[in-house]
Amino acid sequence: MAGELRGIGLLVSRLILIGFLPFGILVNANQAEKKQTFAQDIQPIIKAHCIQCHGERNAAGGLSLSSLSSAFKGGTSGTSIVKSQIDKSLFVHRIEGKDGKPRMPMGFAPLSAKDIQTIKDWIDQGCIEGSSNSSQKHWAYITPTKPFVPPSKKPWIRNPIDNFVLATLTKNKLKPSLEADRTTLIRRLSLDLTGLPPTPSEVDAFNLDRSPNAYEKVVDRLLASPHFGERMTLPWLDAARYADSNGFQMDGDTYQYVWRDWVVNAFNANMPFDQFTIKQLAGDLLPNPTQDDIVATAFNRNHMLNNEGGAIPEEQRNVGLFDRVDTTSTTWLGLTMTCTRCHDHKYDPLTQKDYFSMMAFFNNVPETGIPSDNDGKHFIAQPWIYAGTKPQLTDLTRLEEELKLENAKIKPGDEDEAGQLVWEKTSPTGNKEIDAILAIDRDKRTNDQKNKVRDAFFNLGLRPDVKARRDYRIVLTNKLNALKQSIPRVMVMSDKSPRKTRILSRGDYTSPLSEVAPNTPESLPKPSEPTKNRLDFAKWIVSPQNPLTARVQVNRFWQMLFGKGLVRTPENYGMQGEPPSHPELLDWLAVDFRDHGWDVKRLIKLIVTSATYRQSSKLTPQLRLNDPDNRLLARGARFRMPSMILRDGALFVGGLLNPEMGGKPVYPYQPKGIWDGLNISEARDFSYPQSKGKDLYRRSIYSFWRRTVAPGDMFDSSSRQICTVRSSQTSTPLHALTTLNAVTWVEAARNLAQRVLLPIPTSDGQLKQAFRQVCSRRPSESELAILRRSLMRATEFYKKNPKQAIEILSQGESTRNANLDPVQHASMTSVCLAILNLDEALTRE
Amino acid sequence: MNPFFERDLRISRRQLFGKTATGLSTWALTSLLAESALGQTKQIKHPLPGLPGLPHFKPKAKRVIVLWQGGAPSHIDLFDYKPGLEKHRMQELPDSIRKAARLSTMTSSQAKYPVLPAIKPFKQYGKSGMWLSEMLPYTGGISDDICLINSMNTEAVNHAPGVTHFLTGNQIPGRPSMGAWASYGLGNMTDELPSFVVMTSADEKKTCGQLFYDYYWGSGFLPSKYQGVRFRSEGDPVLYLNNPPGMSAEHRRGVLDDIAELDRKKLQDYGDPEIETRITQYELAFKMQTSVPELTDISKEPKHILEMYGPDVEKNGSYAHNCLLARRLIERGVRFVQLMHSGWDQHGNLSTQLALQCRDTDQASAALVKDLKQRGLLDDTIVIWCSEFGRTVFVQGDINNPDGHGRDHLGSCYSIWMAGGGIKGGKTYGETDDYGYNVVKDGVDAHDLGATIMHLLGIDHERLTYKYQGRNFRLTDVSGKVVKPILA
Repeated sequence: MAGELRGIGLLVSRLILIGFLPFGILVNANQAEKKQTFAQDIQPIIKAHCIQCHGERNAAGGLSLSSLSSAFKGGTSGTSIVKSQIDKSLFVHRIEGKDGKPRMPMGFAPLSAKDIQTIKDWIDQGCIEGSSNSSQKHWAYITPTKPFVPPSKKPWIRNPIDNFVLATLTKNKLKPSLEADRTTLIRRLSLDLTGLPPTPSEVDAFNLDRSPNAYEKVVDRLLASPHFGERMTLPWLDAARYADSNGFQMDGDTYQYVWRDWVVNAFNANMPFDQFTIKQLAGDLLPNPTQDDIVATAFNRNHMLNNEGGAIPEEQRNVGLFDRVDTTSTTWLGLTMTCTRCHDHKYDPLTQKDYFSMMAFFNNVPETGIPSDNDGKHFIAQPWIYAGTKPQLTDLTRLEEELKLENAKIKPGDEDEAGQLVWEKTSPTGNKEIDAILAIDRDKRTNDQKNKVRDAFFNLGLRPDVKARRDYRIVLTNKLNALKQSIPRVMVMSDKSPRKTRILSRGDYTSPLSEVAPNTPESLPKPSEPTKNRLDFAKWIVSPQNPLTARVQVNRFWQMLFGKGLVRTPENYGMQGEPPSHPELLDWLAVDFRDHGWDVKRLIKLIVTSATYRQSSKLTPQLRLNDPDNRLLARGARFRMPSMILRDGALFVGGLLNPEMGGKPVYPYQPKGIWDGLNISEARDFSYPQSKGKDLYRRSIYSFWRRTVAPGDMFDSSSRQICTVRSSQTSTPLHALTTLNAVTWVEAARNLAQRVLLPIPTSDGQLKQAFRQVCSRRPSESELAILRRSLMRATEFYKKNPKQAIEILSQGESTRNANLDPVQHASMTSVCLAILNLDEALTRE
Repeated sequence: MNPFFERDLRISRRQLFGKTATGLSTWALTSLLAESALGQTKQIKHPLPGLPGLPHFKPKAKRVIVLWQGGAPSHIDLFDYKPGLEKHRMQELPDSIRKAARLSTMTSSQAKYPVLPAIKPFKQYGKSGMWLSEMLPYTGGISDDICLINSMNTEAVNHAPGVTHFLTGNQIPGRPSMGAWASYGLGNMTDELPSFVVMTSADEKKTCGQLFYDYYWGSGFLPSKYQGVRFRSEGDPVLYLNNPPGMSAEHRRGVLDDIAELDRKKLQDYGDPEIETRITQYELAFKMQTSVPELTDISKEPKHILEMYGPDVEKNGSYAHNCLLARRLIERGVRFVQLMHSGWDQHGNLSTQLALQCRDTDQASAALVKDLKQRGLLDDTIVIWCSEFGRTVFVQGDINNPDGHGRDHLGSCYSIWMAGGGIKGGKTYGETDDYGYNVVKDGVDAHDLGATIMHLLGIDHERLTYKYQGRNFRLTDVSGKVVKPILA
């Protein structure tokens, strides 16, 4: 007990040491350079915490904080703020809870230490009013210009990124870490750029390559790999809330995977990001759009669709529209437009009118809001296109035209009701059952009887030439239907139903207010041309004067490569978002990206060839104390990889990965019962159609993603229900259970074991190779000793339990080399499974 | 709070846990070894704490059980006693009553809206004389322990938005659910089980058609470790809980030791506290492998307890079975248990299915309350029997077809009940109009209820927030008032 208490004491002191101190240093460093103003810094705090009770109309205690002059006036307790005199400012005393009076805001959480400090600094600096048009002042709303690169002659520097990083480090009295060793570097690069670990021979080749551009050669090879596009696409799918089903009752499947492939191909072809943007937002409105251009617009049709019985179409249509505004704003602009659906933004210069003016760009889609086109399995909503291959589409047109011609050949009386009546009178037909029905009065026949008569007419009663034509039509129709079934039908954007857009009171579709025209947010720099439609809007997004797009994208690539962005709130660049840790670097990268034709591969190459990126990710006690969260980038980034990449990596080292790209989603292993809860009617079959053979081993990006129930082994993944631009990196026992017990990992371990057992004669050699396959490096002597012991223990166990050896070797569908001794194979499998579960195996470092 | 600050603080907290974790895992190891040697099950709990400063005040309750009645039970037939309706039988529901509420498209264009009074009589139960349908005899038996709220209401007209609103405070998916908020704020009381557990069941023939999506227990923008963990009735009770075939627990123990030893070497080399966290999580995973099977094994429950929960209790995946497991979870320190039962969407089968659903849920729901009470657990456990909305007093479909009529969704008023931790028993709260169609007094919506549950847990619902997209989000969005009159 005493030990525990002491522990807590220690914890508290550690908390103070680690958490507070360095932060205080950072903030003070930041604040010393900046003058606080009422408009920019103080008013947002007041709006968030005080105005509820101290507004213009409800000035509690006579104090209104709605303007600077009223704040100076004070209330019944006297003067509230005295310029440059914190001690005499009652305002400060009350928010700090001094003087024995209740702490303000009364009944709510106290202001944060930082907010209080900001207020104090502002008073101390003489209560500067600042511009009331705060929108123009917030960094993210000013179009970035290329900042001056801090000069340095340090040999550490490889490109301008390093100049910026080093300048900040120097200011904070820190030094960059050493460069990581080559093995770590190639592993880092391979995982970051392709999502797969390097092979041992790739590692060897890099270690042996003494040419000065050895590193660059690896980068170029990886950027050219088709797996590059797959890796880049993963976070884009989270932002685009991409899934393979609608996400509600019936949870109909969709064909949006055609769009997913479009994204992979675009990244691989290094499509400039402005084109990538314009096509996804408005490819359909380009002059003479190609099928691909139209498929790209599926981005804004990837949202959830509600097909519940009783769903109100107009309500659901509006929910979809909101989603488009929210997703587009977050993905490209990092703006929290969602707030303005119901009211003007509390912190940012965005209004409710802005929201609906933006929504107007998306409000011309010929859609109902309900996915009503279904074949029992797929449920899709208008508008959609047949996204087939050329031959498929040619066949489609041909069949449709031919059918039309054939239909035109039908003459009145041939096979219609009138013809049937004539035929009925010529009975008996010779068919006893039919004759019996024909004896019944026409009006008294049951539906079943009517159908039987109709069928009989078609079979027996048609003229031979009519029958031949009819049969041919049936053949054509069947062909056409089969063809249609084989072509994916992708939901895309279209502006074919112009609608008026109105502001909705509190975002309620039943309470429309005044009409608005399509427009970009008023407070952001305007495009040179008026924005009349979605295409104009898309062009504005990537226009040079847009202050946000380039920063937002550069930051998200940075986030992918460093685990966290330069702005750590990638979903919010507004006043309440975090300011960038390296504002000049962010702007430099953004302008550089934009000015070099939005060249994604060039940007990524620039980042990964920087000395900053190449640092070791080891954490020294000094850094652990001074910069635990690596905000200053004095070391490389180290983080657990996303579960999709973990699965791909396990398949890869087991030699199982099927590198085939694109196409229909596949269905890897999934424990029984995950989808069963969805089985609610006989009309919809939710049994899991597990793939067979090679399709079990495709990359995770191609796994079917059911929006209502995520795949069981994809932990910490975004739900794909709404736009997500920041991944979750948590650590729970459930994750451990997955990688220890899921059949994918056990099977990968078995195959890895086989891969090392077959060619390598000694157990030491086998262990070393297994470790190398997974972790890229060779184990140290002491690590090898542990592996050896683990193998020995496993061998003992499986010798005693040969049945268990067979059992563990039977996991997964891949076949096993029967020449291998089961005890030996099972024992090595056990060790390989342990290696796959090492922290290092799960981590990119 | 400044986001810089908030996040650094969180990291530091994790580092702290990481630091203690090395101690903990070594401890856990010795403890496990000691246990197997002594054959004892004595354990010291090492809870993972919630946020500093929480609870905000002394809580009345520590735990919550949500008994979700998916599909929307008919409050007209079960809870909201309207003896006056008989004289309006099959008469048109007055426009003045109906116009106020939005209808689903299943009946919004119906030509007539004839009133159908409750299909079975009501009676008074308990000392309090609470009016309930005679179809709920067991709930009647606990009427002095429950507070019946007849004035619940919601904007939603369809299931998924309704459920999402009730459980996450917003109709559109993406916000954290109540259980995630509770886990985030208050932490876990046991390190052997997740703090938030979800179980599902459905009526036998699955007539209801209501699905349970994982955003009903999602963590929204909170870190994903706060999301509800689904216990399953088929296969592993928790996904991937069991070792693969051919890997005994004893052998696995050895493998985990090897992993931990190698990880510790890595830690020495790299100094990243995340490695310590990983070592702990693997230890906890091992613990969970023994604690979950023990939890789900009900063979040692005495006969009289099993009988109390009714005939389905031994059927894996039944509502009754889940109710019993809920008690066992609560006993073991789980913070939030969410049972999701589907069965009440009686648009066309009211005359047959309503009785079946009462049979499926009435006895076990009441048994759970009684069982908690006799163990002294009801005092600090809140039990909420609830749904997304209620049903219309008017008939949907053809009244003359016994298999072809029922009631449509109604959000403007409906009923739920609560019991336990700080809730006043034997109370009926809120009033509706003569037709059970609109609230006339003391309306309660999901945000009010959320505020009240948080209040009972010692949380000021306005102060448990999480900053996302620049805004401090909370369970109750921008509203919610604690419903004081229902508090004990």
